[in-house]
Amino acid sequence: MAPVSGRPAFWLASQHLTRHTRNLAAFFLAVLALGAAWAGVRRASNAAATRVGAPSDPGVRPTGVPRGGELVVSIRTEPVTFNRFVKGDSSTDLVSNLLNAKLVRINRATQEVEPWLAERWTRSDDGLRYTLKLREGVVFSDGHPFTADDVLFSFAAAADEAGGSVLAGALHAGGGTPEFTAPDPLTVVMTLSEPFAPGVRILDNVPILPRHRLQPALASATLASVWGLDTPPGDLAGLGPFVLAEYLPGQRLIFTRNPSYFVRDADGAALPYLDRLVVRVIPDQDAELLALEAGDIDMTTSEVRPEDYAPLKRAADAGKITLLDLGVGYDADAMWFNLRPGAFDGDPRASWIQRDELRQAITMAIDRKVFADTVYLGAGVPVYGPITPANRLWYAAEAPQPRYDPAAAKALIESIAGGQPVRFSLLVPKGRTAIERAGAVIRDELKKIGVTVDVVALDGAALVQRVAGPSPRFDAAYFSLYASDTDPAINPDFWLSSGTAHVWNMMQTTPATSWERQIDELFAKQAASSDEGERHRLFADIQKIFAAHQPVLYFVAPRVFVASSSRVAHVEPGLTRPQLLWAPDRVAVSPARAARPER
Amino acid sequence: MTTRRVGAALVLLAAAAAFAAPALAPHALDQRFVALLNAPPTVPRLVDDRGAWHLPFIHPWRLVNQLEQTYEQDRSTRVRLVWFANRRLVSSSDEARAPLLLLGSDSLGRDVFSRLVYGARTSLGLAAVASLGAILLGGTLGATAGYAGGIVDDLLMRASDFVLVLPAMYVALGLRSALPLVLDAWTVFAFLAAIFAVIGTPYVARGVRAIVRTEARLDYASAAAALGAGHARVLVRHLLPAARGFLVVEATTLVPAFIVAEATLSYVGLGFPDGVSSWGTMLHEASSIRAFTDFPWLLSPAAAMFVVVLGLNLAFQHRPPLSQA
Amino acid sequence: MLAFLARRLCFAAFLVFAVSSGALVLARLAPGDFATADLGVRAQSAEAGRLRSRYGLDRPLGAQYAEWLSRAARFDFGESMLYGRPVRDLIPERAANTAVLALAALAVATLIGLPLGVITGSGRGGLPAAIIRAGSVALLSAPPLLTSLFLVFLAARTRLLPVGGMGGSTGAAGGALADFVRHLIVPAAALALPLAAMFERLQSQAMSETIAQRFVLAALARGIPWPRVLWRGAFKAALRPVASVYGIVVGTLLSGSFAVEIITSWPGLGRLMLDALRYRDVYLVAGCAAAGAVFLAIGTLMSDVALALVDPRTQE
Repeated sequence: MAPVSGRPAFWLASQHLTRHTRNLAAFFLAVLALGAAWAGVRRASNAAATRVGAPSDPGVRPTGVPRGGELVVSIRTEPVTFNRFVKGDSSTDLVSNLLNAKLVRINRATQEVEPWLAERWTRSDDGLRYTLKLREGVVFSDGHPFTADDVLFSFAAAADEAGGSVLAGALHAGGGTPEFTAPDPLTVVMTLSEPFAPGVRILDNVPILPRHRLQPALASATLASVWGLDTPPGDLAGLGPFVLAEYLPGQRLIFTRNPSYFVRDADGAALPYLDRLVVRVIPDQDAELLALEAGDIDMTTSEVRPEDYAPLKRAADAGKITLLDLGVGYDADAMWFNLRPGAFDGDPRASWIQRDELRQAITMAIDRKVFADTVYLGAGVPVYGPITPANRLWYAAEAPQPRYDPAAAKALIESIAGGQPVRFSLLVPKGRTAIERAGAVIRDELKKIGVTVDVVALDGAALVQRVAGPSPRFDAAYFSLYASDTDPAINPDFWLSSGTAHVWNMMQTTPATSWERQIDELFAKQAASSDEGERHRLFADIQKIFAAHQPVLYFVAPRVFVASSSRVAHVEPGLTRPQLLWAPDRVAVSPARAARPER
Repeated sequence: MTTRRVGAALVLLAAAAAFAAPALAPHALDQRFVALLNAPPTVPRLVDDRGAWHLPFIHPWRLVNQLEQTYEQDRSTRVRLVWFANRRLVSSSDEARAPLLLLGSDSLGRDVFSRLVYGARTSLGLAAVASLGAILLGGTLGATAGYAGGIVDDLLMRASDFVLVLPAMYVALGLRSALPLVLDAWTVFAFLAAIFAVIGTPYVARGVRAIVRTEARLDYASAAAALGAGHARVLVRHLLPAARGFLVVEATTLVPAFIVAEATLSYVGLGFPDGVSSWGTMLHEASSIRAFTDFPWLLSPAAAMFVVVLGLNLAFQHRPPLSQA
Repeated sequence: MLAFLARRLCFAAFLVFAVSSGALVLARLAPGDFATADLGVRAQSAEAGRLRSRYGLDRPLGAQYAEWLSRAARFDFGESMLYGRPVRDLIPERAANTAVLALAALAVATLIGLPLGVITGSGRGGLPAAIIRAGSVALLSAPPLLTSLFLVFLAARTRLLPVGGMGGSTGAAGGALADFVRHLIVPAAALALPLAAMFERLQSQAMSETIAQRFVLAALARGIPWPRVLWRGAFKAALRPVASVYGIVVGTLLSGSFAVEIITSWPGLGRLMLDALRYRDVYLVAGCAAAGAVFLAIGTLMSDVALALVDPRTQE
């Protein structure tokens, strides 16, 4: 089963300079240009807003998208390598998506799978065999023709964990890794050992690399050491929309269009629209904001922090940038307790700290309105489980949503504590403003029902060591858990009791509770089912069980805002990072000011 | 000599404010006004819009936009200030509707002024103890090294080099993991003061050593030694006074540096617990673009630090006799 | 002189060894390792295990240290886990950037701080002196984070200077050097301003003490004009404290510059060091600490030379 792109299905964003890859997303929410006053200012923003939900075939595009010009984007950490097979952080992934293509691509705006190197595919009736037809006449940026051999090579390399691949997990489907064969140079067959509902979705995780360049490295198990950052740009060959022109360590990467890129738009013109794409390293988020306001960069690769909304709104009102409200995001920060059996042996609090009632009381005691107002400055919606309303396909509205009731919460706590003082520590990562504000809100809200919370801020690695080290030593923790795909079947490491991101009690050999066993069984069933209706029913049942026991508490999911300079003439915003750059071949800048002012 | 008095007055003022924090602060440290995040200061007034005079009053803030954090003054409402109520010098007569926010509120809706005066206790106390420690330790080591010379000098100076370049953050990280998860304020204070004193020592030691070294070669020192004065006496009576000016300047650079460094060490978990405020942490939270554009009152700890450092500078400066000439 | 230099070299070599060893051990002892920092909650997964064995993190501290030491003796300082490159390649590249920044800041701070210190320390400055002193104190009281952020903010708002990393666009006007200098201004200023303030304070204090000494009175009595006494005699005699802290300043500019480097997007060692710390990249930590020790050794040497120039009596 498949943590997408080498990342866990759910994982901890422990660093305040983000390195996490939030991949994929589900249904796209209507993109609203904010307020008529400034939405009307530029056609560009309207174009972006209305085009969302466009059909998934990349060939169908509105005509008249401007071509040429240069786009400047910022990242906060440098890529680690040009070899996506050995590292999965957000910057390395971004660069890989500029240089390489994949068989299919999940459209982050619609959540549908669209063809890329594979032109079309069919599924056998038993659901075990997928036959993919590759595009004809595709060549790598060095002119070498692309064939099914490159696909087989790439999947073999992805599976080569001994050689250092981090993508092996990303290809897990149901029982194990699929087998790939190539009956002819333009056909690839994927054979699964058991049915797996997401099917070709997992092929979005593996970039296709040139066999003619890298085969020796795979053969000698030295894949991990090829295509490091010191590789001369000319030695990289890819199928992606761009090629690397220059890399200045710690500063910037410059990409130019790949003249042999194979995708064309509706007008039959070759993509990418852009001539050049510059990726600049700006480690500080405030500096990034200033650069965006000043027009030094055209877009960032992450969403706008709630506290940055106001200055960007002013810049948008002045016509300098476009600010988009993409609606509620897919992920909410989460709070959980250490539910490992025996974790509190010898602790007087053992009688109540792992009880369901404590968590039920907490979820009733948090005023989600106050939470949203303080943490997200009002830009958030209440949530009660890991799936937010943004994930329309999988969100179960019927799962119970306890109302705010501090009196009932207090009574519930008293019923389990039996007069003992109720006090626990809450670990939060240091340095993320929204999380630190949330810690303060949780403490204040619980104080009202007589519960004392000691909020302890630790640096990322120290915190992870306590929460997910060999012997977890913590009472409770609060931070970010990101789902890697909107399709729950791709997130088994969170849901299954044996999962590596089953944060409250990880990697269990046998389920510790009957309800976890129940979730395991329902999960396996829904991942293998080929009936979408049945999958939804099963997953709704899982969410109901989850809500009854609240192993992880969710309070508010933030709205996602993104901003780009008003030069940007065409983007298709998605809800996950990089929101505006998941399809770099289809981003365009307006020709009027394509030549940017010299600085 | 009046500038010296002004300086001393400034320092004393800060110390008095810190001492009297519970009476001066209109609010408890962690009291949050949920509807007033990043609200501007409520300035006490005497005259209303129609030009009529009143006892001191404030206008409440009304939230205009939560997401943009903008407020407007409700000028039709006057809320009187009350004096000496609840053992507080001054507070608003209607706390629920219009809390007295002399320096506005922070991103969690806490009163900046209250946090500032309470923070003076933490930050000034910490900076004073740590600077004193660094000066005593550095002065002793530097003087010993400079006076003794030879192998003692080499050893001490190499040790100080080691302390200088060893990443202090790692020492703090290691210490933190050895300590219990929940720390009380005094433990944090003691550890921070100790770490800062050690970190500050090489800076002091090096300067003192250089000064003592040159002075020791001057005639009067050799003369004193020839007259049979003991080493300690030569050092303390004749050589160290030459370093006095240097030590004063060092103190005025160490104090602000330590106040700020406290926030840095909170990154590795050695921060003060919730119930304690400090200038360093407040400044760290205020380090955002919006503090310059929209919420300048968040920068008030920097202003407070300026006052204290200026006071120190004026109070301890060495006025040369010629300047009066 | 040669013997002096040889001794200095020995000390420096020992310092580099001691500091990098100390940093490596401390980094290893800190809670968490590269796998926890990089993989988050999956710190116990099979992938984390492979990472640990690949970088030798699963071995006992003693064995890991011995291995590192034996390789370091052959000038192989291990591979940075975070950047996937040899530490030996990574450090010089960033150290050069930091050195340029540090030297620029030092030069600016010296050129501004010392003369201002003479003016304020002479006791005849009047109002300008009071303003300079207040300015110095303000700069000393402002956290580096705030100063850098404010300068970047000014640069962005006035659009006079570029924000963030070098080179956004092609062929900046005036060529690569001009582009480099334009990008250097903001970080150098952020680093130089507090330094200048410190130099001003030290020099001012030393000046006022020197002027109080008899040789100044004597010189004045002999009819030598005041400016000449001030700038020739007293200035030189008063340089001692500044010269003595010069070494430390150089040695700590790099570790102290991380806030500046991050906010101004300057690709130097400070940034590398912070990343190394956050990711528990032990070999990189050791490398950065070693670079810091080298900086300090150079600084100390500069400091001694400066002291000797200022005051021939200190000659060894």
